[in-house]
Amino acid sequence: MTKPLLSVEDLTKTFGGLHAVEEVSFQIQQGEIIGLIGPNGAGKTTIFNLISGYHPPTRGRIAFNGRDITGRRPYELARLGIGRTFQVVKPFPGLTVLENVVIAAFARHPKRADAERHAWQILESTGLADRAGLSAASLTLAGRKRLEISKALALEPQLLLLDEVVAGLNPTEADQTIKLILQLRDSGISILVVEHIMRVIMNISDSILVLNFGRKIAMGKPAEVTRNPEVVKAYLGEEAACKP
Amino acid sequence: MRWRNLLWIGISIAGLLLLPKFFPDPFFLRIVTEVFMWVGLAITWDVMAGYTGYLNFGHGAFFGIGAYVTAILMMRSGWPFATTLPVAGLVAGAAALIAGLPTLRLKGAYFAIATWALALAVQQMALVLDITGGPDGMRLPPFLHPQFFFYLMFALVAATFALLWFLLEKAPFGLKVKAIREDELGAMALGINPTTIKMQAFILSAIPAGVLGGIYAYWITFIDPASVLADIITDQAMVMAVFGGLGTLIGPLIGAVLIFAFKTYFWAYLADYQVLYLIILGGVIALTVVFLPNGLWGTITGYTGGRRILRKALRVRQPAERPQGSGEKET
Repeated sequence: MTKPLLSVEDLTKTFGGLHAVEEVSFQIQQGEIIGLIGPNGAGKTTIFNLISGYHPPTRGRIAFNGRDITGRRPYELARLGIGRTFQVVKPFPGLTVLENVVIAAFARHPKRADAERHAWQILESTGLADRAGLSAASLTLAGRKRLEISKALALEPQLLLLDEVVAGLNPTEADQTIKLILQLRDSGISILVVEHIMRVIMNISDSILVLNFGRKIAMGKPAEVTRNPEVVKAYLGEEAACKP
Repeated sequence: MRWRNLLWIGISIAGLLLLPKFFPDPFFLRIVTEVFMWVGLAITWDVMAGYTGYLNFGHGAFFGIGAYVTAILMMRSGWPFATTLPVAGLVAGAAALIAGLPTLRLKGAYFAIATWALALAVQQMALVLDITGGPDGMRLPPFLHPQFFFYLMFALVAATFALLWFLLEKAPFGLKVKAIREDELGAMALGINPTTIKMQAFILSAIPAGVLGGIYAYWITFIDPASVLADIITDQAMVMAVFGGLGTLIGPLIGAVLIFAFKTYFWAYLADYQVLYLIILGGVIALTVVFLPNGLWGTITGYTGGRRILRKALRVRQPAERPQGSGEKET
């Protein structure tokens, strides 16, 4: 096995007495899509916030490209190559779509002209180029989710954290977004996805990490995970898990 | 279109430069000089409010600090006037750095309250220290040359305007600052260090204000805490910027010209009713916020940023994370 791009060891985060994430370990290889699933409150978003630096971990270690990044700030991680989206999308509503992406592009292209050129390329690839001049506030939900991805991509990340970028889209929009995610994977970007739509996550993930009450209860290929009794119990309750 | 803009800018600058030749009346020049000064204060206030999203209620302190630096260096150390101006700017910038370290961590109304309190502290300090002359203030050697101050004030404000226009509307810095105004957490995910950018913006708004204060001290020849460190300096700059239109440079410029013209007219004909002026100023700001939240310039150009900026900058609590749009429900 090659050296993992991201390696998480014994990651723990407590808020007061609440163990939001407890001793979770996993690795992401280059060009791999890992699906992160679990019931509401399982700690998925907390894991995102820990990896992207929004929360410092209580215990544990995170390494990116073999480098210890535990406790680094979000803007440092963004420059190192970890891009993320937010479940509640965070466009800059007073700015245009292009300006939104240009701001992210500054991380790699400090000159405005270069950043704009790069932002145009990103918008072409995510299908927002025809709306580049519009205010970000005028986009539909699908457009805003696409803008989130565009902004994260403008950082030229090696690792992309996608928090529910498909949820809430209609089937056509969802298919487009899935196609985009697979294209990104093929271009060598590793992706960690949180998604509630099982059809999506089972289809695109190379392997799946299941959380429940902040603990990792299973990790493996989609087909294996769905047969795992622990996972069935977490989703459907004790009784369903007992039946063959 | 671009050429026409350049032409207009050229004509306005030439017109202003020739003004003293055609209207040498000292009273008139004095009013125009003061208009320049207020334009400078209003646009630098807008760097923090309109562009960065932080309402600085202590902006006048930078002006007062600059005024005192010039006065102290000239009177106590015998420096020539010209050499005191860069120091006035630098000290104001350093004050912004020191004030920014604790206050820029605060958001919304808390930042406004903290900066207001710090400005009061500066005023109290000038009242009790010996070097500032306490409540008696300081008298500077008179230099009665209206044209000199007219051109100096014009040069400084024009240079400040050009610098801010370049940095905020053309350079990457402007977009980074706006990203912070729009969404600080979101900006962090894109590699922007909010602390650094906010600090740079705060210092950028303080330095020209300090230099303006230095010029003002030498021009008026007498300063005391009640004049150059008064609340009214911040308040007036604020009303000018909000009335003209936040988040732009033209807006505060228009606001400064109109409000100062009104003030002069009022002062000249209704001098017995100075308190009334403050009441009117308060009325103007209240009516603007309610009926013209985007300011004059925003209303003319259709730029609706002003309203959002005001609403956001005054918010005490950050909004709870709530889903936007209809289809956000989890499936």
